[in-house]
Parts: sequence; C-alpha cells; structure tokens
Amino acid sequence: MRDWIHSWHRYIVAVIAISLTAFAHSAMDTSAEDDLSRIFLPEAAHAQLWSLGFDTVLADYYWLQALQLVGGERGDTAQHIAMIGEMVELITTLDPWGGGPYRFAAIWMTDSKQSVRTANRLLERSIAHIPTDWRSRYYLGFNYFFYLEENGKAADAFEAALGLEGVPRYLGALAARLRMNEGGLEMAADFLAEFARTTSDDFTRVEYLKALDEVETERGARKLDAAREEYWRRHGEDIRDVHDLLRGPAPILTQLPPAHPHFDFPVWRIDEQSGQIVSSFYRSRYHLHRADHDEERRERWRSMQEPDARAS
Amino acid sequence: MKSLARIWTIAMNTLREAVRNKLLYALLFFGVAVILAGVVLSALSYVESERILQDFGFAAIRLFSVAIAIFVGVTLIHREVERRTVYAILSKPLSRAEFLLGKYVGLLVTIWLQMAIMVVFFVAVSLVTGAPLDAGHAAAFALIAAELAVIVAVATFFSAFTTPMLASFFSIGIWALGHMTRDLRDIGASSISESVQSTTALIHRVMPDLESFNFATEAAHGLAFAASDVWLPLLYGVGYVSVLLVAAIGIFERRDLR
Amino acid sequence: MQQHERRIVRIENIVKDFRPGFGLRVKRVLHGISLDVNDGEIFGFVGPNGSGKTTTLKVLMGLIRATSGEATILGHSVTETAFRREIGFLPENPYFYSHLTGREILGFFAKLSGVTRGRRKARISELLEWVGLDHAADSRLETYSKGMLQRLGIAQALVHDPRVVFLDEPMSGLDPIGRVEIRDLVLRLRSEGKTVFMNTHILHDVEMLCDRVAIIVEGRIRYQGVIEDLVGSGLHEVDIVAANLSPETVLELEDRLAAKLRGVGERVEIRVAEKEVNDTLRCVLAAGGEVVSVTRHRVSLESFFLSTVEGGSEIGE
Repeated sequence: MRDWIHSWHRYIVAVIAISLTAFAHSAMDTSAEDDLSRIFLPEAAHAQLWSLGFDTVLADYYWLQALQLVGGERGDTAQHIAMIGEMVELITTLDPWGGGPYRFAAIWMTDSKQSVRTANRLLERSIAHIPTDWRSRYYLGFNYFFYLEENGKAADAFEAALGLEGVPRYLGALAARLRMNEGGLEMAADFLAEFARTTSDDFTRVEYLKALDEVETERGARKLDAAREEYWRRHGEDIRDVHDLLRGPAPILTQLPPAHPHFDFPVWRIDEQSGQIVSSFYRSRYHLHRADHDEERRERWRSMQEPDARAS
Repeated sequence: MKSLARIWTIAMNTLREAVRNKLLYALLFFGVAVILAGVVLSALSYVESERILQDFGFAAIRLFSVAIAIFVGVTLIHREVERRTVYAILSKPLSRAEFLLGKYVGLLVTIWLQMAIMVVFFVAVSLVTGAPLDAGHAAAFALIAAELAVIVAVATFFSAFTTPMLASFFSIGIWALGHMTRDLRDIGASSISESVQSTTALIHRVMPDLESFNFATEAAHGLAFAASDVWLPLLYGVGYVSVLLVAAIGIFERRDLR
Repeated sequence: MQQHERRIVRIENIVKDFRPGFGLRVKRVLHGISLDVNDGEIFGFVGPNGSGKTTTLKVLMGLIRATSGEATILGHSVTETAFRREIGFLPENPYFYSHLTGREILGFFAKLSGVTRGRRKARISELLEWVGLDHAADSRLETYSKGMLQRLGIAQALVHDPRVVFLDEPMSGLDPIGRVEIRDLVLRLRSEGKTVFMNTHILHDVEMLCDRVAIIVEGRIRYQGVIEDLVGSGLHEVDIVAANLSPETVLELEDRLAAKLRGVGERVEIRVAEKEVNDTLRCVLAAGGEVVSVTRHRVSLESFFLSTVEGGSEIGE
C-alpha cells in the first residue's frame, strides 16, 4: 500500500516536471532564425586555423546555412546578400574546390554593381582553383556583359571557357559578338577564325564557321548601309528596295554583295520592323541578341543602379 | 623472430582487451551515425550533395578514429601499471621495448579495424547514393590510417610516462596543433618579427604535420593528384612514428614501475 | 664453482632512492641491503608494511632500477631479460585481464615465456589441475574469487617451469582455507626442487614454510639466517601465570629479571627467559603471590620479529 502511494507521488512529480519543461520550452522564443547576427561567421583566416582539418565540413555547414538564407522568405534581401557574400567568402576559403558556392554567389549577388564585383572576385577564385570548370567563366562573362556592361571583359571570360569540357557550342560565337560590340566586325571575324582554327571539336568548328558566314554577310550589309546613306545624301530620300542602289545613271553600287557567302538563294531586303537591310537568310542583323524580357530586366536593373551612379 | 612473436602476443592481447572497451563501441556508433546522417544533410544542398555526403563521412572517420585512438590509447600503459598486470608480464622473458611495441601494434590494429568498419559504411552509403569512389578515396583512407598511426604513437608516448588524464590533454593538444602548424607557419611567415617567423617555422618542423595526411578534400572533390602526394606523407608518417616510439621506449625503459 | 651454483639469488649492497614529486628531495627506501638465496630453499623475506620488501622484489624483477649495488639471479644481472625463462613471479594481489578465461591467460603467459606450441596445451592443463582450477579453466577471470586469482597467479608464475619462483605476499587477503591451499602449493614447489623467494608479513606462514629468513626494517636487513638457528637453538621462554601480586612485586620483577608482564584478568602473565624461572618463582612466592601455571615454549618468530623491529639492534649478522 505504502509502495503504491509512493509510486503515485513519483508519477505526479514526473508529470509536473514534464509539463514544466514543455511549458518553459514552448514559451521561449525559439524562432530566432530571422536574426542574422545569430549566425556566427568567423573570419576566414581564423576559421582555417581552428578548423583542425575539418575545413570541408565547416564549409559544408556554412553552405547549408547559406542555402537556408535564400530558401526561406525572411528578412531583408540586401542584408542577406551582404551575408551571402561573407558566407561564400568563408566557404570558399575553407574549401575552394567546390564550384557550387561560387555560382550561388553569382546568381544571388546582383543587387548592386558592388555585389556583382564581389561575386566576380569569388568567381575569379573559383577559376584559379577549378580552371577546368567552364561555368565559373561563363558566369563571370555574363556578369560583365549583363550587369557591368563591360563587353571586352565578358568576351575575355567567355573565350577562356572555350575548349573546356561541357562548354556550350554557341559560346564562341557569343564571344565574337561581344568582340564586335567592343572592337568592331573585323575583331569578331579574327576571333572566330582563330577559334575555328584551334578547336578540336568538329561540331564546334561548324558553329564557328557558321558565325563567320554571318559576319561575312554583315560586312555586306554594312556596305549596303553605307550605300544607303549615300543614296539618301544624293536623292534626299530613302531607298524603297536594295536594287535602287544599282539603278540610275551613276549607280552607287555596281553590284550587290552576296546575301550569304555560300548560298545563292538568300536576297537582301529591308526589314519592315526595324527598317534595316537584312539578308533573307538571317532576317536580322549581326548583333548581340537579347530577348525582350532580358532587355526589360536590364532596364529595371539600370534604373535601380541610377541612385548608385549618381552617388558615386 | 622470437621477439616479433612476443610483440605479436602482446598486440593480440591488447586487441582482445580493447575490443571489450565499451567506449570504443560508443564512439564507433556515433561515427557510423554521422556517416549515415550525411545522407540527410547532403540532401539539403542542390549541388555537390555527393561530395557533402563524403565530406561528412571522412570527417566522421577522422574524428571518431582519433577520439578512439586517444581515449583508448592513453590508458594503454598506465592501466597495465595501475592494475599491476605489467608486473607479471615484464617478469617474463620480454623486454620493455617489446612490451611497448606490442601495446602500440595492438592498439593500432584495433583502431584500424574500427576505421575499416566505418569505411565499409562510407563505401556502402556512397554506393547507395551513387557518389563516386576512386583511387583518391583509397589514398585518403590510407593517409587517414597513417595519421592514426601517428596519433596512436603520440598517445603511446605520453602514456609511457604520465597519467591518462594528462596524456589525453597532451595528445589532444598535439593533434590540434598538428592540424594548425601549416596555417600557423603561414601566419607567422607574414609577421615582421623574425623570431615569430622562425618559431612558427620550427613548430611546423617539429610537431607532427597532420594536415599532410588530410587528403579527404582532394578525394571528395575528385581532384587529380600525384603519387608523391600519397607516398611522401606515408613515409613521413613512418618516420614520425618511429621517432615517437623510440623516444617512448627510451622513457619507458628508464621508468620505475612502482 | 659449486658454491656459486648454490647461490641462486645474490643481492649486494642495493640502494634505492626515490624522488617523490618533482622536487630534488630524495627518499632512500633501501639502505644498502645484501642477501643470498640458496638453491632449493624456501626463503622468507619478512618485514612490516613499507619496510622495502616489495621494492627489493621489484629490483629483482627489473621493474625498478637500483640506485647502486648489484643484484643477480642465476648469475645474470637482473637488468637482462632472457634469463627470465628460468624465473617465475607472482605479484602482490595479482590482477590479470578480467575478460580472459583462466586458460586464455595462461596461454598468453606461456606464449610470452616462449613455451613451444606443442607443449603449451598440455602444460596449461597440467598446471590448472595442479593449482586446482581445472573446473574454472574456461570461466572469465571476473568470476574468480581472490583465492582462485592467487592460485592462477601461481600457475602463471610456473607456466614455463622456472627454477626460481618469487612470490609477493602470496597469502594476503586470503581466508584460512585459501592460505592452507597456497601453503600446500609452496611446499610442493620445494618438493619439486624449485627455489622459492617469498615476501610476507605473516610470520606464522614463514615459520611453517621457510628454511631461511631475512628480516627487513626501514630499508635495512636486520637479520638473515636459518629459522632453526633462531627458534630451535635452545632459546626458550617460560610463561608463568601468577595471582595476588602487589605492584611492588611487579616492579621488582620487571626491573630485576627483565620479565615481560601482561595482565590477564585478576592474574598476571610473566614471560621470562628459561634461566630466570627459578628466581622469578622465588620472588613471586616470597611476596605472597600464587603461581597458577608454568609453561615452557620456544621463542616464536613473532616475538623475535617484534623485538627486532622495536629494538633496532642488528641481530645474527
């Protein structure tokens, strides 16, 4: 009987203890994840010293943390982006051979030119450690082209990626277009010819040769542009058709350049939308293609940067 | 030849004693648990999850093997003296050097066996998740085994003349320092003080450079490596272990077993 | 040559200093002790706790190094190892790996002692039977009683059939039955022609077992010799029990006759040397005392030992 009573006491104590614990724990504010200051970020050099050879695991830990940062819907993006920069800096100091974090930084750190530059510095580190990965060069080139609008550097980054395993075939041609924006058609042609000469992949070479055809066509189109200008000067009116350039007592051109270097069927025409002279083969001129939504995005980004630009 | 037989007898008995140590199983359990937990953790990442999985696997193997090496190793000689088993053993035609080497080999075999168990789990998890396994992994395991040989030698060395408590402090300290010496040397090298430079360089030279056995990152990333990346550290390990054991024997031979 | 062969253990002027702690302070534990153990005898090394018995034995076993002096066993310096094939050692309160069975532990020691594989199995079975552990041979040591461990310890010391056996406190911590068992084992060792060196503080065992003894007190040998010389040399004592003694008489007895007195209830027990018996009786009777009994007995080792320890005089050297 006594034992029974005693065991009852014990149960009561246990129940009270459990309820107390549960109450205290549930009353506590455990939803502190929003508070970024809670994530302890050691300085990279210190972390390297104290990680005792567990550098990669520590890097993985912060990598998973960084993913949590953008995965949830919490807090202030700008603050997160600064944090992501620091985290990826730490992660890639501890383990510079993981490609993921660099590209992660490149994708997310686009809120300002300064962020993009930080991301690019990380991408450079990636290139130094994983020189065989085309993607970091690709991301770097994209950042230069799209956000920083430095086409020459973009072309440099893309060209360095050519010949690496897995690189998309169009990249050389894209680099050449960037070169054209930077240094003109001849430069693009030179680069393409060089790429075509040095590539070991026949399919890629075909891409380059096709791009060279386009550059050749563009040359013709530019000659026509110049003739069109002359026509305007002489007659005070625009041509209605490219053949106008051959007509009259003193034709501006004796002969139209080919609308394609190899095929006979393409002809020159004036594009109705743009008013430009285009080859019927390509139906547009050789330039940096941008999709409309890309262009919109870039405009948004530019307008966002303006306060920055004024400040500096 | 007889000497080898006696060393082996001590070693096998040490193994038999160590495998009955419950601490060993506790640590082994946690090691395997971390390897398995790597599967869940790595799933949190959208890229390189196989590598993260193997990072955790390597870390678990290294951490828990070292823990076993130190905590089982430091009691090695001390317990024999404290429980007076050593009196009966050393009254046999057996030198102290043979005894100490036997204890060392026995513990090392124990640690290598438990490491092998964790490696089996590592390989199994890798196969199941499709993570790559290649020569780099084999090299990383061989180098972890070499690091363990050094750590066991450090623990044996301290165990030969101090209490388990002090020996474990010293061993953990040496292990930690051994993983820092490279960074310390590099930090010291950038110092303007020449004495700081030479001190950190000396520490790097004298303390075990355990980072040279850390090949896990290279293996998990599948980085290319030269044969000398493996055999030079192995040679270094053999040399370092020999130095430690010779010193441990020298101390143990002079010691009064009261 | 014959003489040399007879001396199995020789200790000459061994000094041992310990340094407790890290200081420079030196504590001398053995003050230049010398002793010999002859072939085929059971030698008792006797002394109070802390007198240096175990230290001496550890010097002999090579477990500690003497600060100075020389110790040899069978003509070999104790710092060598190979000759240990010829000696066996039972440490005090032996502990062996408790996870092993009796048979396993003997196998382990047999291997260490270089007993060949072919002989090992038979020798172990033989020994287990010899020490009466054949029924527990395959149980783990953690199930063994103290007496069983002690017997296993002896078996371990004998596994390689040594010529000389060193036993450190073989009877300590045993119940009376256990002590009788160990005593029988020691006597059987002598009958097999082995030399036994035994550390003990249990004098009764020494008296029953040992041919020769050395008494060590505070790191110095106080006596070394044959037990018979000591207790069987006609040196006898007489206990007289008397009643009705006045305090004056008691004082006179103590002063004049060097008698040792002990009160036993109303009575007094008077211990005197044999030659003083008549004087003592006369003195008691003259003082009006009553003699209850007179008993003559040999001097016990115990009283000799006590007088040696307390008196501090060197006897028998």
